Amino acid sequence: MTPGALLLFAAAAILLGLVSAWRAPRLWLIATIASAAAALGAAIRILVGGGDAEWRLPLSIGGELLRLRLDGLSAFFLALLALLGGAATLYAREYWTDEAHPRSAPTGRAWWNLLLAGMGFVLLTTNGLHFLLGWELFTVSAYFLITLERQRREARAAGWLYLAASHASMVCLFAFFASLAAQTGSWELGPMRERTELAPLFWLALVGFGIKAGVFPLHVWLPSAHANAPSHVSAILSGVALKLGIYGLMRFSGWLPLPHAAAWTVAALGVVSAVLGVAFALGQHDLKRLLAYHSVENVGIILIGLGFAMVAAESGHPAWGALAFAGALLHVWNHGLFKGLLFLGAGSVLHATGTREMSRLGGLWRSMPWTAGLFVLGAAAISGLPPLNGFVSEWLIFLGLFDAVTLRGPSAWAAVPAAVLLGVTGALALACFVKVCGVVFLGQPRTDAALHAHECGWRMRAPMLLLGALCVAIGMGPAFVWPAISRAALAWWPEGPMTAGLPLPAALLTLGVWNSALVALGALAAMALWLRVDRNGIRHAATWGCAYAAPTPRMQYTAGSFAGIITGWFAWALRPRREIDPPAGIFPRRASHEVAARETVLEAIVEPVGRAVQAGAIALRRLQHGRLQAYILYIVVGLAALALLVFPGGAP
Amino acid sequence: MALDILVRLAVWVLFAPILPGIINKVKAWVAGRQGPPLLQLYFDLARLWRKGVVLSTAVSAAHVAGPAIAWVALLASALLLPLGPAHGGLAFRGDVFLFVSLLAVARFSMSLAALDTGSAFEGMGAARDVSYAILAEAAIIAALLTLAVQSGSASLATMLVPSAGAGSALLAAGLFAVLLAENCRVPFDDPNTHLELTMIHEVMVLDHSGPPLAVILHGASMKLLLFSVVLAETVLPIGELRPLPAVAALAASVLAIAGGVGLVESIMARLAFRRVPLLLTTAFLLCLFALLAAWRGGGA
Repeated sequence: MTPGALLLFAAAAILLGLVSAWRAPRLWLIATIASAAAALGAAIRILVGGGDAEWRLPLSIGGELLRLRLDGLSAFFLALLALLGGAATLYAREYWTDEAHPRSAPTGRAWWNLLLAGMGFVLLTTNGLHFLLGWELFTVSAYFLITLERQRREARAAGWLYLAASHASMVCLFAFFASLAAQTGSWELGPMRERTELAPLFWLALVGFGIKAGVFPLHVWLPSAHANAPSHVSAILSGVALKLGIYGLMRFSGWLPLPHAAAWTVAALGVVSAVLGVAFALGQHDLKRLLAYHSVENVGIILIGLGFAMVAAESGHPAWGALAFAGALLHVWNHGLFKGLLFLGAGSVLHATGTREMSRLGGLWRSMPWTAGLFVLGAAAISGLPPLNGFVSEWLIFLGLFDAVTLRGPSAWAAVPAAVLLGVTGALALACFVKVCGVVFLGQPRTDAALHAHECGWRMRAPMLLLGALCVAIGMGPAFVWPAISRAALAWWPEGPMTAGLPLPAALLTLGVWNSALVALGALAAMALWLRVDRNGIRHAATWGCAYAAPTPRMQYTAGSFAGIITGWFAWALRPRREIDPPAGIFPRRASHEVAARETVLEAIVEPVGRAVQAGAIALRRLQHGRLQAYILYIVVGLAALALLVFPGGAP
Repeated sequence: MALDILVRLAVWVLFAPILPGIINKVKAWVAGRQGPPLLQLYFDLARLWRKGVVLSTAVSAAHVAGPAIAWVALLASALLLPLGPAHGGLAFRGDVFLFVSLLAVARFSMSLAALDTGSAFEGMGAARDVSYAILAEAAIIAALLTLAVQSGSASLATMLVPSAGAGSALLAAGLFAVLLAENCRVPFDDPNTHLELTMIHEVMVLDHSGPPLAVILHGASMKLLLFSVVLAETVLPIGELRPLPAVAALAASVLAIAGGVGLVESIMARLAFRRVPLLLTTAFLLCLFALLAAWRGGGA
């Protein structure tokens, strides 16, 4: 089948799913997964096959003819959308059942299909107006999915914040596409690098897409939205919806002329997002909020790659720029895979225990071995550890940065701090995920809820297994995904320095062999050691606690104390809120110590500005009081002011 | 080539446990004691390998798999390093990040194995380990950038061949501090004490016994040798010498480094806890200044 036929089938199937969402959940499941499979097929056909596919339909929306195109870059993102969308659809069937959520499950399925369809449409369209329509469609569907549990106050607040931030982004994008259309005379999008007068528009795109992608100071909506949405929604939001912001930045940084500082700004935003994203993640106690902050971090890593690729493209060093761009692209896929896996894993923890609070969990590996194992796999992948996929993309970005440094020149000055901070980010992410895995899955259960947890069923397990397997597969055979990266990179910057194609770095093959060997040797060593332990004989005893006779699970190290050293270093940014109730008297009965990181950007910048605007508006409202005499006075004063303006000017 | 790899494997696995023995001998000599035999760690390892295991009732498979994976990761990162004349075979462009990340793998799996027991002591040790590693990682990357600028390469086998040139002294000081921190020696940690007073490494392995403990101790000695080799080859142009002098120079410098660690341990006390980040930041700055020196100094 041609990509066109596959996409047509995908569109029909997702509509069928939409129609059957209320009455026939089983049909919905089959149709939506079939749609995802067809879209994945179309994307793969484009990525491994030859040229781009383009369709002009005799159908007009908003007065513009419908024109769709699937090129390397959009196919790259469409593949991720289809894969994660399909996996999360199956997961949702068990996670958000009609029995448990009789009211929200059917509408949730309908919004889900609209979300997927909207995102797919954004990737396919080449018309600015249609882009905005698709963008608004998926933004609004995501709002209804985030607030699916709207009886909870936090879910409503998170949805409201999300909606406000998304529409701030929408305003920027509307201004961006409208000015673009006004200056070019058409809503059609395409490469227009030669029109240098369009360069300043990139700043609008950066803010608009940056809010959606969750770049550091613009991420305010992201933590609460991801934490309060149902987990399959968090997975798709973090895995794909944020990536559409990245898609927009990649698309328009390749198509439009760039202002001089754009590349440096993107790289700097990337570094800031990476380091501060993970620092805020370390301060979180809520499992899903923590994962959400890691999205900020990983978007930062992607932007480091993209920013340096833009720097390279401007200064004419395509070799290391291509490595950085390839790393950024691969990290888009990788982050989708492992973050999807982690959110689905967090969802099954929430499903089994009813809490996202890490200090109430512990020892879950006993009751949830599959979830625990797969979550630890995802944690190792997101920490950039070999032999998994996150390591491969960070390796590509690192190699690009090192090459930039060895060539010296102006970009090297920026590459040194970027390389050091990228390394620091990796070490911080490792610390954070050791904390998560250790506190949630290892040790002793801290509460009854954790003690009586249960493993999830196969519909929730299979998507996690699929994503985990892909994390390992990309780590072991990175050369196999290279053709897709090369195709997407070619589509990024048409007629640019990369038209010759990205040669497969020979080292990537060696890296794949190393990773495969490490998988085999690690498994072998663990097995050999276990056999030896088994042969020597095992005795079981309580954990050594300095001979303390009555240890309780509450005496275990908590998430807050584990991260305490690092959050102390970042106290200037986290501004932790402490509530200490010290033990008092000779026989103290109660004491407590609570530390929580704040939403610094939201509380220190967004809210004060919002309050100032509100105060100004309230002050202005006094002018409107309903007294006619005063209104006539306003008119007279206004006319007099106008007359004063006009007469000295000598106008007719 | 296969022989070359086998020789290196043998060197790493067989010679690593002698380093702690040398350090202990130096410490004993400074204190005027006889000290344990040079090969004490070998005896310990052999005994532990035969012993039974006491497992905590809290632990999962990570408790045993963690040390095994950490050992494999440490051995693999060691094999990436050139050993005097023996280099090549396993080297490739960009292996330097594999090296750094493999050290991180070891840290990840050991920390999980520690947290697995649910003991507050081990949680404390793991927290300190992963926290200080962040600063050490910054220093290591700055040092590697220096070598990359100096040699114009991103592969350890070529990066470590020439001497680090202008910034050698700075780099040596910075990397020595990182060596002490990463291997949990005084002034960052005290390998002789136990429980929370030991701060990092010893407290993380409180509940390990028998063969897993043997694997951990052997891995730790490999890590010590690994950092000593990196330090020696960074400062001295060992790869440029002919084979025999190269081996002699490498062995002598590793011995000297072990002696240095022993001396530091004899004459210094452990740092106050809040000073540790300060010292590691100093190490990072030293490596960064070495980078600037290499940049100014020209090089390849």
